[in-house]
Amino acid sequence: MKITYRKNMAWVLAAVLAAGFLGGCQKSPDQGGGEMASAGQGETGGAYENRGQTLQDKDGDKAPGAMGRYEETKVVLPQEAEGQSFIQLEYGINGNIELFTADRDQATGDVREVFRYEYGDGEWERDETWTGNDVLREGEIDLNYVTLGMDGRYYMGGTDQDYVYHLFRLEEGGSEELLSEAFKPEEGRDYGLLPAKFEILENENILIYGYSEGFLYEPDGRLLFTMTKDFSGSTDDARGFCEGSEFVTVLDDRLVRYDLRDGKVTETIELGEVTGGRLGLELSGDGAGGVYCASETGLSHINKGGTLWEILIDGSLNHMGMRSLYLKKFLPGGADDYYGVFVSEGGRGIQMFRYEYNPELASVPPTGLTVYALRDHSTVRQAVSLFQSLHPEVKVEFRTAVEENGTVTEEMIQGLNTELLGGKGADVLILDGLPVKSYIEKGILMDLSDVVEELESSGEMFDNLLEGFRREDGTIYQIPARAAFPLVLGREEAVKAYDSLGSIAEYQGEKPLIARDLYENLLRKIGYLCYEELFGEGENIKNREVLVAYLKAVKAIGESNGSKTAFSQEEMEKYRVSNYTSPTGFVRDSVEYDMGNCDSGTDLLDGYWSVCIPAEVRNRQPGTVMEPAGKVYLPSTMAGINQSAANEETAREFIRCLLSYDVQKEELYDGFPVSRKALEAWADKDMEGYSIGTGFPDSDYHLTAEWPAENVRQEINAMLETLTVPAVADETVMTMVVEGSRDFLDGNETADQAADKILRKLAIYLAE
Amino acid sequence: MKRNYRLAWVILSGACLLVWLPLLLMAGAALMPEDELYWRYLSPLGLGRDRVRAALIPSYLSAEALEELLIRSPGFFVMFWNSCIQVIPMTAGQFLIAAPAAWALARFRFPGRGQLFGLYVLLMVLPFQVTQVSNYLVLDRLKILDSHLAMILPGIWSTLPVYIMAKSFEGIPDALVEAAYLDGAGERDTFLRIGLPLGYPGIATALMLSFVDGWNALEQPVTYLKDKSLWPISLYLPDIAKDKAAVAFAAAFITCLLPILVYLNCQEELEQGVAASGLKQ
Amino acid sequence: MEEGVDGAGVRQSRKKERGRRKRRMIPWIFLTPSLAGVAVFHGIPFLDVVRRSFQDVMGVRFLGLANYRAVWGNGAFRLAAVNTFRFLAVCIPTLLTVSLGLALLLTAVSRGTGRAPSRGDCGQKSQGFWHQKTTGQASCLGGNGRDGAVRTTMVLPMAVPAASMVLIWKIFLCPEGVLNQVLAAVTGEPWSVDWAFSGYAFPVLVLTYLWKHTGYDMILWAAGLAGIPEEYYEAARMDGAGVWARLRYITFPQLGGTFRLVGILSVVNSFRVYREAYLLAGSYPDSSIYLIPHLFAHWFLNLDVQKMTAAAVMMTAVFLAQASLLWLWGRRRRREGRGSV
Repeated sequence: MKITYRKNMAWVLAAVLAAGFLGGCQKSPDQGGGEMASAGQGETGGAYENRGQTLQDKDGDKAPGAMGRYEETKVVLPQEAEGQSFIQLEYGINGNIELFTADRDQATGDVREVFRYEYGDGEWERDETWTGNDVLREGEIDLNYVTLGMDGRYYMGGTDQDYVYHLFRLEEGGSEELLSEAFKPEEGRDYGLLPAKFEILENENILIYGYSEGFLYEPDGRLLFTMTKDFSGSTDDARGFCEGSEFVTVLDDRLVRYDLRDGKVTETIELGEVTGGRLGLELSGDGAGGVYCASETGLSHINKGGTLWEILIDGSLNHMGMRSLYLKKFLPGGADDYYGVFVSEGGRGIQMFRYEYNPELASVPPTGLTVYALRDHSTVRQAVSLFQSLHPEVKVEFRTAVEENGTVTEEMIQGLNTELLGGKGADVLILDGLPVKSYIEKGILMDLSDVVEELESSGEMFDNLLEGFRREDGTIYQIPARAAFPLVLGREEAVKAYDSLGSIAEYQGEKPLIARDLYENLLRKIGYLCYEELFGEGENIKNREVLVAYLKAVKAIGESNGSKTAFSQEEMEKYRVSNYTSPTGFVRDSVEYDMGNCDSGTDLLDGYWSVCIPAEVRNRQPGTVMEPAGKVYLPSTMAGINQSAANEETAREFIRCLLSYDVQKEELYDGFPVSRKALEAWADKDMEGYSIGTGFPDSDYHLTAEWPAENVRQEINAMLETLTVPAVADETVMTMVVEGSRDFLDGNETADQAADKILRKLAIYLAE
Repeated sequence: MKRNYRLAWVILSGACLLVWLPLLLMAGAALMPEDELYWRYLSPLGLGRDRVRAALIPSYLSAEALEELLIRSPGFFVMFWNSCIQVIPMTAGQFLIAAPAAWALARFRFPGRGQLFGLYVLLMVLPFQVTQVSNYLVLDRLKILDSHLAMILPGIWSTLPVYIMAKSFEGIPDALVEAAYLDGAGERDTFLRIGLPLGYPGIATALMLSFVDGWNALEQPVTYLKDKSLWPISLYLPDIAKDKAAVAFAAAFITCLLPILVYLNCQEELEQGVAASGLKQ
Repeated sequence: MEEGVDGAGVRQSRKKERGRRKRRMIPWIFLTPSLAGVAVFHGIPFLDVVRRSFQDVMGVRFLGLANYRAVWGNGAFRLAAVNTFRFLAVCIPTLLTVSLGLALLLTAVSRGTGRAPSRGDCGQKSQGFWHQKTTGQASCLGGNGRDGAVRTTMVLPMAVPAASMVLIWKIFLCPEGVLNQVLAAVTGEPWSVDWAFSGYAFPVLVLTYLWKHTGYDMILWAAGLAGIPEEYYEAARMDGAGVWARLRYITFPQLGGTFRLVGILSVVNSFRVYREAYLLAGSYPDSSIYLIPHLFAHWFLNLDVQKMTAAAVMMTAVFLAQASLLWLWGRRRRREGRGSV
């Protein structure tokens, strides 16, 4: 009995697994995920000649010398268009590519005028007489979308002053409004449906892209049926297209094909890795039932009924993979070519590229350059794309150990070390989180002082940020591409207290020095704020006295403000705290200062956006001082070159590119640039009118902070000039401190006992 | 006599209970709705210090995490499949290569046998880390890095199975082997018809151990496989962030299913083997 | 390979001559596929490790014994070596005893409840095992299979990945965990020991190790026990030997080979305890469970591979010395006339 039972159980388990497999395989996960990843590295030799050939044969596409690749060239746009915002790019009534752009009002952001351009023979021609503008003016409409219906007429949509959407059909000498009932707000609601976009089918039926559904209407306004899709809030993420009697869109991260006659799903296709990591996924039809998918990873194509995506254009080889650009539209050209339109942040700065198949180009660039990092870095991505477009003969591969939220394990670093010891490994190493000191000692890294000197001689760089890495013998093995720095703001005497660990411990103000927080965050934060006193030049705690003073300072803060090593559910609700630990310890707490909970606040500034709130708080609280914490800055995206790099000169060139103005000038939310010229470009960027707000659901407190004013930006720039001490805390030491001080901070031990405990572990660490 | 057995059963059941308790806890967590999971296990997940409220059975069953894993994460299946591709040929290869070697070491007396045996044991004791760099260089020279072969080939020639199998071959009664020779069986037939069936407990044990080991390998794939599309399932777990605790439990649950499955199917064979080896003399 | 015994006369002697040479070759035929691969995938790397232990990190300069001296004088190494020895000294005997005990119980109950394979009729030797196999199957189906359930259960822990198991251990061991709650309920006082991080880390680690490996060793012991012919026990019972005497004079001597197997495997597996230790208590745990694998991991992280290889070679030498002592001792005992088994 038992044996049969056991056997049965085994079969049941097998069935469960098999069912899972089938469930997954129907959408071809292993091909979708597996094959794409390898093909994504640009090994697409000769696959385009006969479209539809899939890339299953992995050995085949590695064949050296395979020729043929899509080459990117810039399409020059009409001069005024580049500053305008993008509305549409599609084939127009005359069969030519048409571009719609809009001139927006600086203050309100409303569209003032729409420009229609037609592209022919490499020239753009503006249609001055386009009637759409009259419609806009007449109804005071803020234009949102324009498209040519399959019935051969133009349609446009936008919101009126009451935020109600209107859809118009342009006709000879006028226009007709359609589906007006569909967009009216329901009884008791402020907003009606604001569609992201719409399409008009051949039979004049209208497909409206709602938030989570597509609605199919008859021209007279009768709703035929709805089709569910993934949520979209704007035209940017409204994915899908209609072709023939089919509607293709995205649902649950998979491609779904609806039959527009009955609204039934006829096919679902796994998207796998073709989507890339961000917004900006453009779907379009190939005219034969197949689907093109353009994204950060490049352009992929799948045949009707197919299961494998074929990569046509490798996004990492051109602007498609660039982090500062957002893909807006991708169109097939006439003959083996494609057009892509991108915008910069804020929807402006339109750029257009043409991708043309060039049989003369090697399908994989002959020289390879590998960049390795534990985690993804936007600035590195940006540099890779730029480098790629500057050097078409080089194929840059950016490898990361983990995806966005993954955990870096010891095994991963050991794996990298194995490669390095074997004289292999990536050419360029992004050293954040890696044991840099050992790498330098063991001669893994190359001296980059010549690159640094060259950069500094240009006068464009913040020399102080680069010089922090110079060693006593004059060598420099790592160069940071980004930097952040801690800022202290508050009452003058409170800000003074940050001068030393002792004065922090002794601070006796009206209110606590800093707001209530997790002890772990406090430890890290104070560690950075008093970095010089605690660590000095090295990365290890200077001596026992300093360690005790440090622990006492943190405990003193904690006792004054009620910090804990962990908060209970109750405390979290009561005090608006959480058990979230920040890797640097900084959690924006200038707001707490503004609310009057403490005498000062600290923030880690990593770009002008992070300056908004502190600057606004200073405006609101008279007598507030705002200073950097000593000379400390937190460098990031630190690059070094592997001593055994296959192509040293290319690697150096890449680092130059990483630090070049063109890469540094983009704000990618990962730190300030180390190039002064680039920061000046940031400062010149006109972002007036943009603001961020903060508040809490259960309180009256609210703060709206605008983009920092000119003088504040200059003030920040001046602060950056003064920073000379790079603070790269050794995570091993910090973990020892956090773990070893827990009992003390919980009140079960004295500071001396805790210090001894930490130093014992530290001694082992140092003895190794 | 009977009472003694009852006592024995009590002890054995106690031991089993100790094993099952944590495992049931895990299964329970895998089938728990996410908010309940957080409510119960904030502290072990490192998210707070609230009292742990352990429960074997969730307040209601939720297949959300399992569904997320089996239906929505194509990556999980790719990795599951990769594990199969790497581990199954590896164990099969071990059977083909290690069993004859073990037979030779166990049943023949020849010069150098003792030293050879010692060498095999030696190579089996070294921790992986120590030879990691050297192994990497060998695989690089053979040009099989970044392919499934980098996982399969070194595994096939692991010396541990040889050792275990040899020990079990040594236990086969000489008389049986002699009898086979007398009956006119050649070396090959003796090995195939006496050695393999009678050495089954050792062979099955060795292969099972290899299977489980290969299934849980962490260092090797991280080092040898740059291409993440080749990564096995053992690397899925460490990559799960804390905020996906529910999925982590579910993944753990499914990850051990296959080894258990293998064991359940193997066990009968194993017991037959054990029974057969009871044939001594 | 067909070797008939039906040959006759002169031809037989020549055949014998050829057969002897062939016989000498036979073990090598069986061994070659394994040897070749082992040499490439494990032998060469091992030699490379030995070479590296005399060189600097990048394998450029010859340093002589400098690495060995550095390792020997290294405080962290000494601490780790002592801890590891202590860990093995506690773990291995406990593991072997507990698993053997369970295996004995298991074997006893399965024999006692008629699960033991019946003695097959070995008359027709050439078909012996086939015959046996069917008998075995019959007994499996006929038996109650309770001991099968025990075997299955006990081996499960091996299959659970360390990363997920550690989450479960934390449910028990964290300050707010189940263990403290149970203790509080028993003693009536509040308990909030952080088991994995305090001085209790050592017993905690030993217990997780036992939890994981006991079942597996039990299976190995059980396989060994099953190999002891029932007749021995019957004969002993006839002679009036009690349970203890039967264990002492039949079971233990017969388990010598199994003992060595289980012992060596347990030592090998003990190096794997690092993953649990690391996930449970971090990479710099309480100094009582700072083991050689911790040190190796840190050396590797910091590229001190030359120290690691030197330490590994030293450990291998110690292991070899022990093993050869054991072997010599075993040979003497065998020579002292207990005949081969």
